Amino acid sequence: MINNLYNVFFDATHNVFQLMLNISDISAQPEEEFKCDDEVDISVGIQGDLSGEVIYRFPVPTSLNIVNIMSGMQFDSVDAFVTSAVSEMANIISGNVLTALSDNDVKCDILPPVLCKLDDDKDYELKTSCCINTAIGEICLLIRLNRAS
Amino acid sequence: MLWKDQYELGVPLIDAQHKELFRRVEAFLQVLRSGVSWDDKALQLNDTLEFMKGYVVEHFRDEEEYQESIGYPGYEAHKQIHNNMVDYVLEVSKQYEESNKNEDLMQQFGGRLLAWLINHVAAEDQRIANYAREKGVSGNDK
Ligand SMILES: [Fe+2]
Repeated sequence: MINNLYNVFFDATHNVFQLMLNISDISAQPEEEFKCDDEVDISVGIQGDLSGEVIYRFPVPTSLNIVNIMSGMQFDSVDAFVTSAVSEMANIISGNVLTALSDNDVKCDILPPVLCKLDDDKDYELKTSCCINTAIGEICLLIRLNRAS
Repeated sequence: MLWKDQYELGVPLIDAQHKELFRRVEAFLQVLRSGVSWDDKALQLNDTLEFMKGYVVEHFRDEEEYQESIGYPGYEAHKQIHNNMVDYVLEVSKQYEESNKNEDLMQQFGGRLLAWLINHVAAEDQRIANYAREKGVSGNDK
C-alpha cells in the first residue's frame, strides 16, 4: 500500500471529481507536461504512520472551473471564496486517501489545509508526484512523506 | 440550481431537509456573491446565518436519529463529522462578529461550506442510503 501511494492519491482524486463535479474522465499525466505559472497551492499536513505533507497544485483556470461547477455561478478571479473551496476539496481528497490507507492498516491523521508556496523541497523517503488531466483542467499533487521510525 | 436529484437518499424526511438546506445555501451564496456593497450584503447574510445555525443542528439531529433507527454502523463517525461542522459554523460566526463583519471571513466560510455540503451529501450521506438498501430497510423512515 505504502509503495503504491501514487495509485491511492490518483483514485481518491478520481472519486472526488466524480462525486463532487460529475467528472469521470481523468487521466494521469507526466509531471514534465504540467506547466503552470499562476496557481493555488494548498498544503495538507499528514501525521502518523506516514508524516509529511501533500501539496495540491491547482492552476487558476482549474480552480475557477471547479468553483463554477460546484456553485453554478460564474467566478472570474481567485479570491477568498475560491481558495477556501479548493482547500476544502484538497481536504476531502486527503480524507479519502486516509480512509484507503486505514483500510490497509496504515494509520494517519491530516492537518487543516493551508495556502502555501512551492519551496525547494527537502528530502523525503517517499517522494512522488501525481499529475492529473481532467476535462476542466490539470492538477498536480506533490506527495512528500516519511515512514514513522 | 445547487440541488441535484442524484443526491436523493430515498428517505423523504431527510431528502426534504437536504433540499431546504441546499436552497438556503444557494440563497446565501447569491447574496454573498452579488455586486452590492458589503454593508448591504452583511445585513441580509445575518438572517441566513442565524437560520442556518438552527436548521443545520436540527437536520443533523434528525439524520442521526434515522441512522440510529436503521442500525447504521457508521453512526458514531458520521455524528462526529456533523459535530465538527457545527463547531466550525459557530466558530466562524463568532469570529465574524468579533471582526466586525469582515468580508473575507464570510467569503472563506461560503467556499468551504459549499464544497463541504456537496461532498457530505453526495458521498457521506449516500453511504447511509446504501446501507439501508442492502439491509432492505430503505423507506422505513418515520
Ligand atoms: Fe449527514
